[in-house]
Amino acid sequence: MRMHWPSLRGAFRVWQRDATIFKKFWKPALMPNFIEPFFYLAALGLGLGAFVREIDGQDYLQFIGPALLASNAMFAASFESTYNTFVKLRFGKVYDAIVATPVNAEDIVVGEYLWAGTRALLYGTAFTLVLAVLGLVHSWWALLLPPFLFLVGVMFSVMGTLFTSLIKSIDFYAYYFTLVVTPLFLFSGIFFPVDGFPTPVPEIAWMTPLYHAVNVTRALATGPSPEILVDVAWIVIFTAALAMLPVRLMRRRLIS
Amino acid sequence: MTPVSLKARGLRKAYGEFEAVKGIDFEVYRGECFGFLGPNGAGKTTTMKMIYGVVIPGGGELSVVGRDVRRDIREIKRRIGVVPQENNLDEELTVRENLLVYGRYFDLPRKLIRRRVEELLEFVQLSEKSGERVEHLSGGMKRRLLIARALVNAPELVVLDEPTTGLDPQARHLVWEKLRQLRNGGTTLILTTHYMDEAAQLCDRLVIMDNGNIIREGAPQRLIEENTSPEVLEFRPRPDRLEDLQRLLETEAEHVERSADLLLAYTHDSDALMQAVRRSGIEIENTLYRRASLEDVFLRLTGRRLIE
Ligand SMILES: Nc1ncnc2c1ncn2[C@@H]1O[C@H](COP(=O)(O)OP(=O)(O)OP(=O)(O)O)[C@@H](O)[C@H]1O
Ligand SMILES: [Mg+2]
Repeated sequence: MRMHWPSLRGAFRVWQRDATIFKKFWKPALMPNFIEPFFYLAALGLGLGAFVREIDGQDYLQFIGPALLASNAMFAASFESTYNTFVKLRFGKVYDAIVATPVNAEDIVVGEYLWAGTRALLYGTAFTLVLAVLGLVHSWWALLLPPFLFLVGVMFSVMGTLFTSLIKSIDFYAYYFTLVVTPLFLFSGIFFPVDGFPTPVPEIAWMTPLYHAVNVTRALATGPSPEILVDVAWIVIFTAALAMLPVRLMRRRLIS
Repeated sequence: MTPVSLKARGLRKAYGEFEAVKGIDFEVYRGECFGFLGPNGAGKTTTMKMIYGVVIPGGGELSVVGRDVRRDIREIKRRIGVVPQENNLDEELTVRENLLVYGRYFDLPRKLIRRRVEELLEFVQLSEKSGERVEHLSGGMKRRLLIARALVNAPELVVLDEPTTGLDPQARHLVWEKLRQLRNGGTTLILTTHYMDEAAQLCDRLVIMDNGNIIREGAPQRLIEENTSPEVLEFRPRPDRLEDLQRLLETEAEHVERSADLLLAYTHDSDALMQAVRRSGIEIENTLYRRASLEDVFLRLTGRRLIE
């Protein structure tokens, strides 16, 4: 079966469709993203932070605040590319309608990547504002956070879409969240640095995606060093290497 | 000669081991209405989906609006309209938004889409519902909206997979009227249906599919003339006399079909046949005389009644 190269124009149309719907409820949809950071920062930053003095020369609130930006983007893009995509695929038959137009199946998948990235960007921007108000942002480099979170969103959308393209029932997402998303959340250096652990812990962390995203958001909020270019490159290469696989698999689910 | 809008040669499709379409040939001319009849599972939807690129042919040739479906599917989809068998309207959008968003998939200029959307809402008589969410529409309204949606790109050919299934008689007549208007405007129509009167009324030519094959092709009237006798008597005898009556009819009529407890006898001379039945003394609960229709052709060729 021949695959078509995705068209950006077609992808944009799919993105536009999602944006049209998002526009209707963006205020209530974004609200939790203003509130959620407060819970984390209060419970962990203040609660746990009372016992933890400093990590890497930063107080605990400062340590976890910007790092949570990365996991926030991961959650936003993961929900979008799992539950939301599955509903559009199976229950809403949204994609069945679209593939009968000049927008091809390949374009749909890429459009959903872009949309997940956009959601991560929107949520991340809201979160960044909260951090800034709390005085946890110290560098103008933080202006690069939104576009970077877009990239992180696309990366996790590729991963989530890959899982979506393989499963038959919506119940299987419990596996994805329990075995992939949650461990990444806990072991990517958000709450404690993994670099100090003995081998192979840092090496394993290095091979996972959220670890690099955390390095970058933390650095952009406080003033980066050139090392984060390696993390950005890791993310770009990982995303690019994986991106076409879900496209291929999703095409098979839409075209027989 | 009329230009060809669609041409299929040896077209086939298998799902795994199962052959849904087994090598069919047909041509659709520009500006005509071409119908597909056939019992459930005959392969009609599979054929429609091959036309609009959602199913890839397993073999054979298929060209639509002069383009090969395997090579130029994007261009084909740009120029045709699709009404799918299963409703797939965007439930999260309103009636009007469904058309606006769909129009964007065709990269049409904003202004043009806006103008067309209002015209189409008018055309399918949904202007008053334009701000309603799709889930609040009745089944018939959804069907009409699907038809409007298929016309957003002003297609030269429209594929309609059971456009009137589930509609009340009034809504069906409304859809027929719209389809006729389209055809008169020069649009080529390809439709599948389970309603013989619909096929007879709308289609210039049609094919009957069964088991993945095309078993007959022609204009509705010609199919009737060539495949069945002009008059039909329908008998509903007492159940215990069904066999007797069937035996009698098989000698007296030209052809007999049985559909559950109903016997259909085909003849050129219904009076003579009626006489013969009366003479036999078999008790009949119910008799009906009518002219043969497409349904009889169908019944005879596929051995199945369409609407049970
Ligand atoms: N994706 C699929 N996978 C496997 N088999 C399929 C698939 N789609 C259709 N079929 C089979 O192919 C055959 C033809 O199906 P199709 O939908 O084309 O029939 P149809 O003529 O449209 O029937 P109906 O009048 O019920 O709509 C059926 O036996 C069906 O079960
Ligand atoms: Mg069908």
